[in-house]
Amino acid sequence: MSTASVLSEIDRELELSGRPTVLDEQAKREVRRAMLSAVCIPGYQVPFGSREMPVARGWGSGGLQATLAMGGSEDVVKVIDQGDEEGVNAVNLRRLIRGTLGCGTTADTREASIVQSRHRIPEDRMVAGQTIVLQVPNSEPLRGVEKSVRECNRMHAEADYSRIWVGMYEDLVTGGVVNTGAGYPVMVNDRYLMAPSPIPRWDVPRLNDSDHLTILSHGRDKKIYAVPPHTPVAPVTFDDVPFEVEFTEGTTCGLCGSADTFMVQTSDGRFLCSDVEWCRRVRDHDVDPAEHRVIAPLQYLPDAGKRVRATAEDYLVDPGLLADESAGFRDAVTTTAPGAEWTLKVSGLGKTYPARRGSSAVVAAADVDFDVAPGEALGIIGESGSGKSTVMKCIIGDEYQAQGDVRLAGFDDARTNILQLTPTERRNLRISALSVVYQDPAMGLNLRISAGGNITERLTAAGWRNYRAIRRRAAGLLDRVEVPLNRMDDAVGQFSGGMRQRVQIAKALATDPDVLLLDEPTTGLDASVAAGVLDLLRELLAERNIAVVVVSHDFSVIDALTDRAIVMHRGRVIETGLTDQLFADPHEAYTQRLVAAARG
Amino acid sequence: MSDPTEILTVSNLRKTFTMHAVGGRRVSSLQGVSFSVGVGEHVAIAGSSGAGKSSLLRCVYRNYLPDSGSVVLHTATERIELTELSDRAMARLRGREFGYVSQFLSAPPRTGPLQHVVTAALRRGHSREESRSLAETALRRLGIDELLWDIDCSVLSGGERQRVNLAAGIVSPPRLLLLDEPVSALDPANRERALEVIDELAHRNVAVLAVYHDMHIIRRLAQRVLVLSDGSIADEGRPEDVLAARHAALGEVVA
Repeated sequence: MSTASVLSEIDRELELSGRPTVLDEQAKREVRRAMLSAVCIPGYQVPFGSREMPVARGWGSGGLQATLAMGGSEDVVKVIDQGDEEGVNAVNLRRLIRGTLGCGTTADTREASIVQSRHRIPEDRMVAGQTIVLQVPNSEPLRGVEKSVRECNRMHAEADYSRIWVGMYEDLVTGGVVNTGAGYPVMVNDRYLMAPSPIPRWDVPRLNDSDHLTILSHGRDKKIYAVPPHTPVAPVTFDDVPFEVEFTEGTTCGLCGSADTFMVQTSDGRFLCSDVEWCRRVRDHDVDPAEHRVIAPLQYLPDAGKRVRATAEDYLVDPGLLADESAGFRDAVTTTAPGAEWTLKVSGLGKTYPARRGSSAVVAAADVDFDVAPGEALGIIGESGSGKSTVMKCIIGDEYQAQGDVRLAGFDDARTNILQLTPTERRNLRISALSVVYQDPAMGLNLRISAGGNITERLTAAGWRNYRAIRRRAAGLLDRVEVPLNRMDDAVGQFSGGMRQRVQIAKALATDPDVLLLDEPTTGLDASVAAGVLDLLRELLAERNIAVVVVSHDFSVIDALTDRAIVMHRGRVIETGLTDQLFADPHEAYTQRLVAAARG
Repeated sequence: MSDPTEILTVSNLRKTFTMHAVGGRRVSSLQGVSFSVGVGEHVAIAGSSGAGKSSLLRCVYRNYLPDSGSVVLHTATERIELTELSDRAMARLRGREFGYVSQFLSAPPRTGPLQHVVTAALRRGHSREESRSLAETALRRLGIDELLWDIDCSVLSGGERQRVNLAAGIVSPPRLLLLDEPVSALDPANRERALEVIDELAHRNVAVLAVYHDMHIIRRLAQRVLVLSDGSIADEGRPEDVLAARHAALGEVVA
């Protein structure tokens, strides 16, 4: 007696005893609602009340719920796992679906109304009316570049996807190609970034403008998303680095001889079609080879000449070639407000921390006024707790609910008080209008990615999408801040404190901001390292027409970098003047004490 | 109206320091000083230590903030009341329209003589290339050895530093220079060289307001001398007239 006949005997007995209820009607409604929402908003991950399934998590529990919720006895279901419908998992899921829905099953894609699949879209063309349900092992395309679920949700909500290019940049730098295989990120309907896991890159082009419906379901993550028919789906790439599918030159299927299918390698080194059913039909001459060549992603076969490694990066060895890069920095024109001299103006800025259990209300800053013009550096001096960092945080947007008025010439012609903007708008300001260098490089940098990758993050946020241009710009900036270019591709976490600070400065200047805020830029560094960073900042400010605010408790920093300064004490500005005048002729008792103390 | 013959007009300038560390003690420095400097004129300030000579220069340059009075700078195009100028405008004017050479060099840390003087020339609106050649000329003129040009100023000798400071002042000079004892730390040979450079300024129509302790220098360079005593101008006039008359007040330094 064969295994198949035993199984069919068991199945027949089960059918006689009535179909088991794997998913009750309420659960099906929940899943259907989620699927409808997913179809309405292509690529958006719809949360749903995922149930426990009688399969192990990670074995298709999400796909199973989708199929059971949408299927009925009139459907014909095909189940494939890694392109094979005879794998244990595929066989079990197929039997479970058939037993639950009372539907028909098939191996032939042409006969199926629902294809539930792990890892593949069938080689055969799928047509209108067919649905493919993909079992998803990883639904969040941003997970690789952002660990926080909340931050990922924000990025989706704001379509703020620039960081995905940072991940690809790191791949390209490390290996010369994008490593992502299954789950290559795609933009759906020009709006949502989606992980089309678990299909290989080979199948990604098949999602674009398809005739069929694609449902992707992740049981463990409780997310359903969809690509409705005729939705644009584009793989995310740099403009100058073409999308590639998996392909090994000269391979043909050892069984059917096909050269235009997705192949898997066997243990003896041969290649076989991944889609077992297609392979069999090729051998049976039951396919249309001409049509298959049309839908196969042959235009995306790798082209070594277009890969990033094909372009020499001579400038990494000879930074002199980047001269044009650094020359460009000086041309940047910094805006001033209409009819005024300033680029940044702060009026009546205040911040009060309300009373909480264990602490009374604290006025961290009050009535702070100043403005800064292009090519000018203003210092904010004061001892710890004087409110100088609070002022900085309120301007940059690290601190909310501040009172007062802060205007930027470069934003809406200074007509808008940026304190009134939403967090999103404020974040956008930090891309090109306003940059900050924090005392702690970990605040301004991602220590896990390379120095170049950190600069890429700022550049892609500003819309840069050309890998080679980004690379050159990052090299130019890093060379300018005297980070050796042979360290450009090393994770910043491996760098010394001084080097990290230099990378942070390069990142802050990457998009030629109008305003640069320096928050204790040399504090915490060894004296000799701090001196180097200070000298660098002095040079950078001298060669740029940028408006700068420097917060420091260190008089030598304020003296070296600024023309004018304000002195803060207990949250208020108590004295302003030319920096040398404040040090030579301080008027207020507090400033005199501060100056006397600084003399050592 | 701008007086076309004057470059600097100071009226009734007063300055008092309040020392909070010693119970708010008030130390008077300038008690109503009025004078003017003509275009291309070399005016010397003489007086004993503590008479307010340096304070006067600093109040003009706003290194000190005067209590009251007026300081008017006449540029080629306008009349600028410096005491009413915003800090930003003052910062822009400094080094560009008028220069100040302090008694001691205050170059930024880890800056060499060449860089320091180039920076001064850049401030006066020259291109990088021009600034470099101007700076080299100025340093050579004042006898700074080329070997020292890229060495941190803070390790130079007192005399070298003073010449670097002077070089930054006279490089592409603005129409008015304030000099605070510009040759006090120099050996005779270098001093002679520096004095020649200062004297030449007049030929380039640069007005100089300078503090000197040495009456020989005043006689040699200045067209006019102001004698300060206790924060007031005690005497004013041509050096040969005034210095003879003030012999007693100025003591043995007058030859």
